[in-house]
Amino acid sequence: MLFNSFAFLYIFLPITYLVFWHLRGKSPRYVWLALSGYAFYSFWNYKFCALMLLSTVVSYLAGLGLLRWQDPVRRRLCLAIPVAADLALLGFFKYANFAVRNINEVSSWLGARSTLPLLDIVLPVGISFYTFHTITYIVDAYRRVITPTRDFAKFAAYVSFFPQLVAGPIVRFQQIERDFETVDRADRTADVNLAWSFFVLGMVKKVLIADTIGAVIDPALARYAELSTLSAWLCVLGFTYQVYFDFSGYSDMAVGLGHLFGFRLPQNFNSPYQATDVAEFWRRWHVSLTSFLRDYVYLPLGGSRGSRLMTARNVIITMVLCGLWHGANWTYVVWGLYTGFVVALHQVISETWARLPLWTRRVGTFGHFVVGLAIFRSTGLDMALSLLGAMFAWRGGTGIVGMKVLAVALCVAAASAHWGPNTFEMRHRWSPAWVSGLAALFGACLFVLYGSRPAPYVYFQF
Amino acid sequence: MRGGRRGRLGELGRAIPTLLVAVCLLDTALRFAPIDPLTFRAWEALTPYRPSGAAFQPNRRYQTNRSYGDLTAIGNLRSLRRYRAEAFTTDVLGFRNAAHVLGSPVDAILVGDSFAVGVGVLDDETLASRLSEPGDCRIYNAGGEAPGAGPDRILALARHLHMRHRLVIRLYSEDSEVPDIPTAWAMTTRRLVVGAPADARRLFGRLRGILTVSPLKILAERAWKTLEDDRILPNREAGYVVRGTLYNGDTMLFLTSRVKRAYERREAAAGYWKWLGDELRKEGFDLLLVLAPGKYTVYRPFLVSAGPVGPAADDYLERLERESRAAGVSVLSLAPVFRAEAARSMADGKYLYWPDDTHWNARGVALAAGAIREQWPRLGTLCRDEPLLRAQKP
Repeated sequence: MLFNSFAFLYIFLPITYLVFWHLRGKSPRYVWLALSGYAFYSFWNYKFCALMLLSTVVSYLAGLGLLRWQDPVRRRLCLAIPVAADLALLGFFKYANFAVRNINEVSSWLGARSTLPLLDIVLPVGISFYTFHTITYIVDAYRRVITPTRDFAKFAAYVSFFPQLVAGPIVRFQQIERDFETVDRADRTADVNLAWSFFVLGMVKKVLIADTIGAVIDPALARYAELSTLSAWLCVLGFTYQVYFDFSGYSDMAVGLGHLFGFRLPQNFNSPYQATDVAEFWRRWHVSLTSFLRDYVYLPLGGSRGSRLMTARNVIITMVLCGLWHGANWTYVVWGLYTGFVVALHQVISETWARLPLWTRRVGTFGHFVVGLAIFRSTGLDMALSLLGAMFAWRGGTGIVGMKVLAVALCVAAASAHWGPNTFEMRHRWSPAWVSGLAALFGACLFVLYGSRPAPYVYFQF
Repeated sequence: MRGGRRGRLGELGRAIPTLLVAVCLLDTALRFAPIDPLTFRAWEALTPYRPSGAAFQPNRRYQTNRSYGDLTAIGNLRSLRRYRAEAFTTDVLGFRNAAHVLGSPVDAILVGDSFAVGVGVLDDETLASRLSEPGDCRIYNAGGEAPGAGPDRILALARHLHMRHRLVIRLYSEDSEVPDIPTAWAMTTRRLVVGAPADARRLFGRLRGILTVSPLKILAERAWKTLEDDRILPNREAGYVVRGTLYNGDTMLFLTSRVKRAYERREAAAGYWKWLGDELRKEGFDLLLVLAPGKYTVYRPFLVSAGPVGPAADDYLERLERESRAAGVSVLSLAPVFRAEAARSMADGKYLYWPDDTHWNARGVALAAGAIREQWPRLGTLCRDEPLLRAQKP
């Protein structure tokens, strides 16, 4: 079930909202939130609810163990078992066939005749997110950053909280614990306007901007080998804005939905296209993931404490893992290598970079991301090479159908992303005229939802 | 940024839920309105609200002069539409027959998918009407239940008819899948559905229609598809349809999935047909299986650019015919007749299938009826004859 679907807007959300606020006390609300999260998740595939439950139960029990035991060996076990279970789940469902394919390729290259069969696996939606929720919970509990909860319903509600369940943000228990603690005292009306403001803006970003761009560039990218240089640049530029407005729109809707239930989810995008260097860019882009990687991968690897070479190594490893997190495909590995290399390079030339004019730094930072997305968007390395070839070596080819619409959408997207405030910077105090305008935009979104095929979120595939 | 004051922010918090409720109510209200003006052919108008066990809404008359092919609708290809008249009448049981058919003795029941029903043709141009034409023959058109009525439905239907002869003609179109033999559980469920009171089945059909058909969605989709004209926005539906050019320069549309399937080897199993024949025979009915070729099978040889056909991937109907005959099923394939006639009539710019639709046109239906009568002469004598002898071979 998508946030931009009528099953969600007309049925799931009203029922969940009304029952939640009708209930009194913490426990009933925890239970209801957990149940609604599982109901929400079951719309994709009810069988995968068992996986989420498994991950939840294992982490919950490990949390109890961390509360009870103080000796290092047992605590390490309480850390290792749930993290290993989560990574095993993730590894099996996301990377098993990737590994099999590569083993087969290598063995075929070595002359072996037999091949391993591919497994019949469907990737459970959101597994990359909820396993990371439970990992942060356990690692933070192990590090004594948080006190694990004894309340299973509360923990289950945290893991399965539907606004952030399938595509984040990756909310740490620490960030939302206070809202869970005060869930029985939450005021229904306090944030309702803020909530709808976030939700409407997120919906507009997703449906009117990202999906419009996608409607034009997706068919063009399906014929990537025929694209001219200009078309290739426009497609990749289009994808750069599509992915931002798609994911930040989803995150805004998630934040809005969180507010409807009295929860403050953290900011996931902080105007990344206004960043002036790559390090800043990655502090602003998909904040919940990049901060996860910083705290749970980069810093444990040594961070920037060692030599420049070691720091570069840590950065590259982190970014390759970041790439692999997005999917089991060599394009993500190459994208991770490329991004890691650029970030490492920036660490070397940061002083020189800082002396450049502001617009040069912004354009350079944005440009590195655009080029990287040519690899990221590709379905295989051949497509990546073809796209990059078209972008950097002049060639004629086919144009793009819907160029005028794309031009308008890109102008709106660029103005908003490069110069406009992000949703967390807005005051959300709308005059009646603005309210009418936003309502009209929301009405336009509903028209698109009725009229066109629903476009899934780009990040659902991760 | 944290939570606004109610006074100033209150507007949006009320405006959006109000808008959502208003649109939801509008959507719900429109679901109770007739959808005929929003449809381009009877199939779309009469199937959503059909009672369980029926193919269409009973006792309806649908008429339009602006019907067009399903392929232009699926592929959003407005410029290739060929407008035509369609008159579609259903009887009290919810099948495409004139009212008087129910009151007369019936010689055979015709079952099958949309090819059996007749799409884009008038009531007197359907296969059942054409087969009934020469004499006193009365063929009851029970087509329309995808993927095809099982013995339970056929027998339940026969109880409502005055059967003079016990013959079932099952039209199987190559483009559809051969049904699986239903499990005991599925058979029980079907019998329960068929045996349910008519009012309950009607109510269920109505509810299903209300839940699944949204006129607001149809209107919005229509508006959106106007934008997706390959100028303002790319036509995302175009990939579902293949545009073929015939040797005479005419354009012929095909469903992409059907074209792809032509290059795959399909399993030609006769198990279901044998089972169906045996089940019907237990109740004294005979079965004649008629195999209708798909449009791509017929016109592929005349296309300027047709892809290569892999070994033995092209003879599905022939294999199915052989297997069925070997299993003791009376079977007749229309493929050779259609291929030969397509070659003959194409020179005059005449076709057996609608160029913009997956189905055969009135000419194709007439050819099919003629071929069935010619290759199975028993049908001609049946209507004037004593009850049919069993297990005749064409």
